Amino acid sequence: MTRWAMIADLRRCVGCQTCTAACKQANATPPGVQWRRVLDLELGEYPSVKRAFVPVGCMHCDDPPCMHVCPSTATRKRADGIVTIDYDLCIGCAYCAVACPYDARYKVDKQEFAFQEKIESEKHDSKRIGVATKCTFCVERIDAGLARGLKPGVDPDATPACVNSCIAGALHFGDAEDPDSNVSELLAENQFFRMHEELGTGPRFYYLWDRKP
Amino acid sequence: MSALQRNWDARAAANFMLGGAGAGLVACAPLTGNSYATLAGLAMIAAGLGAVWLETGRKLRAAHVLFNPFTSWMTREAFAALLLFPLGLFFPLLAAPVALVFLYCQARILRAAKGIPAWRAREVVALVVSTGIAEGAGLALVISAERWLLGVFAAALVVRYFAWRRYRAAVRSDALELPGRTLGWVGTGAALVLLPIAPPVAGLAAAACGAWLKLALVTRASFKQGFSLPHLPVRGAP
Amino acid sequence: MNARVPTYCYQCVAGPDLLTVKVCDGAATAVEPNFAAASVHPGAGKVCVKAYGLVQKAYHPGRVLQPMKRTNPKKGRDEDPGFVPISWDEALGLVSRKLNEIRTKGLLDESGYPRVAASFGGGGTPQSYMGSFPAFLAAWGPVDMGFGSGQGVKCYHSEHLYGELWHRGFTVSPDTPLTNYLISCGANVEASGGVAGVWRHAAARERGLRRVQVEPHLSVTGACSAEWVPIKPKTDAAFLFALIHVLLHEAPRERLDLEFLYRHTSSPYLVGAHGYYLRDPGYGAPLVAASLEAREEHVALEIGADGEVLAEGALHGETAFAKLLAHMQRYSPEWAQTVCDVPAATIRRIAREYLDAARVGEFVFVENQKLPYRPVAISLGKTVTNGWGGFECCWARTLLAALVGALEVPGGILGTTVRLNRPMSERHRSVRADPDGLMAYPFNPTDKARWSARPNIRNAYRTMVPLAADGPWSQALGPTHFSWMFLDETPPGLPRVTMPELWFVYRTNPAISFWDTAALERRMARMPFVVAFAFTRDETNHFADVLLPDAGDLESLQLIRIGGSKYIEQFWDHEGFALRQPAIAPRGAARDFTDIATDLAARCGLTEKYNASINKGALGVPLRDFSIAENAILKTEQIWDAVCRAASTELTGEAHGLDWWKEKGFATRPFPRSAWYLFPTLAAKGLRFEMPYQERLLRIGTELGRRLHENGIAWWDKQLGEYQALPEWKDFPGLWQAALGSAAGDFPFWLLTSRSMQYAWGANVGMQLIKEVADNVAGHRGVVLNSSKARELDIRDGDWVRIATPQREVRARAVLRQGIRPDTLLLLGQFGHWATPVAKDFEMPSMNSLVPMSMDLTDATGSGADLVRVSLRKAA
Repeated sequence: MTRWAMIADLRRCVGCQTCTAACKQANATPPGVQWRRVLDLELGEYPSVKRAFVPVGCMHCDDPPCMHVCPSTATRKRADGIVTIDYDLCIGCAYCAVACPYDARYKVDKQEFAFQEKIESEKHDSKRIGVATKCTFCVERIDAGLARGLKPGVDPDATPACVNSCIAGALHFGDAEDPDSNVSELLAENQFFRMHEELGTGPRFYYLWDRKP
Repeated sequence: MSALQRNWDARAAANFMLGGAGAGLVACAPLTGNSYATLAGLAMIAAGLGAVWLETGRKLRAAHVLFNPFTSWMTREAFAALLLFPLGLFFPLLAAPVALVFLYCQARILRAAKGIPAWRAREVVALVVSTGIAEGAGLALVISAERWLLGVFAAALVVRYFAWRRYRAAVRSDALELPGRTLGWVGTGAALVLLPIAPPVAGLAAAACGAWLKLALVTRASFKQGFSLPHLPVRGAP
Repeated sequence: MNARVPTYCYQCVAGPDLLTVKVCDGAATAVEPNFAAASVHPGAGKVCVKAYGLVQKAYHPGRVLQPMKRTNPKKGRDEDPGFVPISWDEALGLVSRKLNEIRTKGLLDESGYPRVAASFGGGGTPQSYMGSFPAFLAAWGPVDMGFGSGQGVKCYHSEHLYGELWHRGFTVSPDTPLTNYLISCGANVEASGGVAGVWRHAAARERGLRRVQVEPHLSVTGACSAEWVPIKPKTDAAFLFALIHVLLHEAPRERLDLEFLYRHTSSPYLVGAHGYYLRDPGYGAPLVAASLEAREEHVALEIGADGEVLAEGALHGETAFAKLLAHMQRYSPEWAQTVCDVPAATIRRIAREYLDAARVGEFVFVENQKLPYRPVAISLGKTVTNGWGGFECCWARTLLAALVGALEVPGGILGTTVRLNRPMSERHRSVRADPDGLMAYPFNPTDKARWSARPNIRNAYRTMVPLAADGPWSQALGPTHFSWMFLDETPPGLPRVTMPELWFVYRTNPAISFWDTAALERRMARMPFVVAFAFTRDETNHFADVLLPDAGDLESLQLIRIGGSKYIEQFWDHEGFALRQPAIAPRGAARDFTDIATDLAARCGLTEKYNASINKGALGVPLRDFSIAENAILKTEQIWDAVCRAASTELTGEAHGLDWWKEKGFATRPFPRSAWYLFPTLAAKGLRFEMPYQERLLRIGTELGRRLHENGIAWWDKQLGEYQALPEWKDFPGLWQAALGSAAGDFPFWLLTSRSMQYAWGANVGMQLIKEVADNVAGHRGVVLNSSKARELDIRDGDWVRIATPQREVRARAVLRQGIRPDTLLLLGQFGHWATPVAKDFEMPSMNSLVPMSMDLTDATGSGADLVRVSLRKAA
């Protein structure tokens, strides 16, 4: 059984937002909508202060609260763990947005473009207006890649855009159920945590913070 | 209105305010002996649902709200509402327990929103249900002063007050401090004092305080949990 | 129809990044890494965030899409230029008419300065976009390239000059793949080192590199370091001096790399009583002592400036190293603590950690060559490596490497490229012996016979700055603000500085990026004829007479060299070429730069010289067998086809034309890793690094002083003080405070700037995508100040504040952070736009409008620093 998972190596992330930009472009998200973004956090007080960069987005939880609350069944979970939104079913109630502990969902009510007028690289996408949207793990890319016999997380053409773009080698993607996958190896070798583990959502986004002793 | 929405606004809050109080009113209507009480309650529920409908992005797909009774309390609320209206119109007595189900669904809608600490607390259920009943009973006092109603109202105020205290002990939110204090002093204390003297005033005060608390709860106490790092990353040899 | 077109992005010196552009139905829609480059690129072929803005850049609604001419003859910030569209024929007619008039009058004006000037920004990166324009400039003749747009005050100026002197390091980098311990004084490699820098440092951290970031604010690099040391601004030299003190006076001597010091540096050279080397009376070569700390007597000569014999006979001398020991005695950690606000214990610990990590005595094999392994390094950032104090910091850093033998060896510090020494393409070949057993350096002459009293260009680099040398890059590495400053009043001793009659501007915006931008604007407004190659309207081309839209990054054609060893972390295991090609058709009437250059050359009657220049190699490769006919007027594709064939022949012996390169995008061959390290080349030639003692600097400084005084120039005396054999600490922060006079107390904050990776080099400032993602990084929305300090001043996050100098004031929103010293304010990047579309609405000021352009704040290399004392108060 495949279970796609993403890893952010916090030791390596520099908060450059290349993943944010790559995601925005690959998924043609409108201004202000960032399915992938990197937080710039400070902890402590001067002079004992630390600054950390934390990539966030949909965690594709094992037990996604967004899916449970969704009244229209637009939000679903695939057998491979990817949480999807059916834009044709979604009523745009935003219940999922308030149910998600990871602030991963967006809803826009009108089409907006980067500049006031639409430019040639942009297109109208009425399907995504008035409905919830979020990171899809670039599911179309994964499916198309798999259909071509490629390995997600290894072959760029089957790998999410953010991972492909990461200039620090901080983001990784792969099958957490495959003991030989890149992500399984990283999880075996390093100490990690998941965001808000206590909520029991079972996020499939792992944060590495140190190697195992 | 910003093009980008990540929280619920006053339109959703209206559903909890109008719908909650309306459901309370429908539940208490049999005690009033006034057939208009149920109708008034239903009207409030309808207005609340109308308001939240205005917040949805795809209004023509409203029927899709019914697709997930298996896990979604929003769907269940919708089903309860569907049942409530014919019952209320034709069998007001049967509508009362269904109104309580509707109210309970509302409470569970908040409870299921894991992203918001002020909502997901267990204690929110008793608070939302008790205030709905207190508000409904309070509104009923405007048209009736039946002894049973007075008793239910007084009991609901006390229960609500303790539900609030219990909630506040579990959840701290600056946005709820003033509405919460007002709920205690005005919506409970003053309302109980006024009850023997001017029941409608007592009832309205209790209802207004409950509505304000829910408005604050839905729109202002709805801070997301944010993010936290249980471990700081190790950057090279320490 | 969908396609992926391979190309490159070279919008900043930390490139190029190799990428592909996704094209759907003729429109570019997305940028991706060129995954085929993963195995040859030091950053795994990834692409920097800036490149993702290229799609919006192509379709930017504010683009200038056809030539324009100015209709309002009055120039000024508040004057509407009244640009009206014209045809290319009319535009190039206007420009060539002006050029031909100039040619008729003579290329130089009455002061001896070129009548044509040109400014290109971005550390030479515009050359990767200007097609064959360099061939046009070469065909033209003398051009003044010394009107600064950022260099000097925004670059690592002292590092460029002194780095090249000491170890051919125009830019200096840790050998990141091997370094284990790195002290980074303000170097913000995660923001300025490009993809290669970020990738390598991330890998190094995971490997266990310990990096100590010494910087007044907690930058991105500080965040990603093991330790942050919040130092007082502009006191890094004191910190580094104290490290040297600990190594020399507290650590056992044998912990240093004594063999390296004795055999490979000038440490054992004997220094005479007058401060010059004792020399063999017969050969004139410096005398080498029997041991590192010896004091010896020899029959010798001591020769000072201008060949003057200061002493001869039996002379006492002590080694350069012994002089160093005595010199550094006073710079203890306890002393430094009072200067730089870093506890003495911290300084001492860092010095010891550095020494422990140096692994003196160990070796490593690189391509079967046994080399010293010294995995410790120090990197210096902007404001540390320029302006007053830059010399002292660069010296201290280089010396700290030399003391443990970590100079130009695996794990240590590397000079990654040369720009002043020749050949520029290969720094090992630039290593030549001078008579003293050191590396020769092409100083501008300071002897009486050859010193240049008449500058060739307005910034007078050849006259004032011996270290700037006299190569193609030297004009841009002189005191480039002088060109602007002296337009108002030329100081005594120099020919009157004149306005150039025609000024070309490309991919640079000095009205935003230089210091004292308001003063600059006023001078720009007096430029008689400005030709700006324009992407959008901006603050500099606001003063232009003609706007020429060159085809954009994704629309035009060019082949460049990649790999080998270049700026910063761009030292590769491969070298070769990459092609930039049109992914989309040029928008509007935009024209490929090569077409524009060819057309201009023809209109100026320079076609033969232009083609000859292309044949000679002006486009990066000598064409040799593929030379073009010198009288032919060729199309862009024909020219680059010839370049492609010459390049591929050089690379692999096989001639591949443009079509092959369009399909492949790039091609490389291995570049030996041993070529990263200069030490073996010096050792093979028996040459020494000139450390610690700077006899040559002392000599040329003395000579320069004499020449200047002979010519009535006394206004450079303060700068002459920098030419010291052993640098001393001077009160560097005090210089900036003194600039305020008695009002210093009213301006209690240091205002600094720091690189924004997302906006670095400024070419993408108008892209919404970049703004959106950059805003996720703290500091892009306002001025960063310490949260506790803000509380004292009753300033809350997001409040408007006023930042003021005695002369000027700007407004910014307050961004409260814990990671900054309470006495420091930070304005990221360079904003303050008032004409550039989108950016002019940012409400984000720039420190450039506050930093005064002054002689007092100019160091001996001709550079200033991004630093100013300011007051801060809440806006009403």
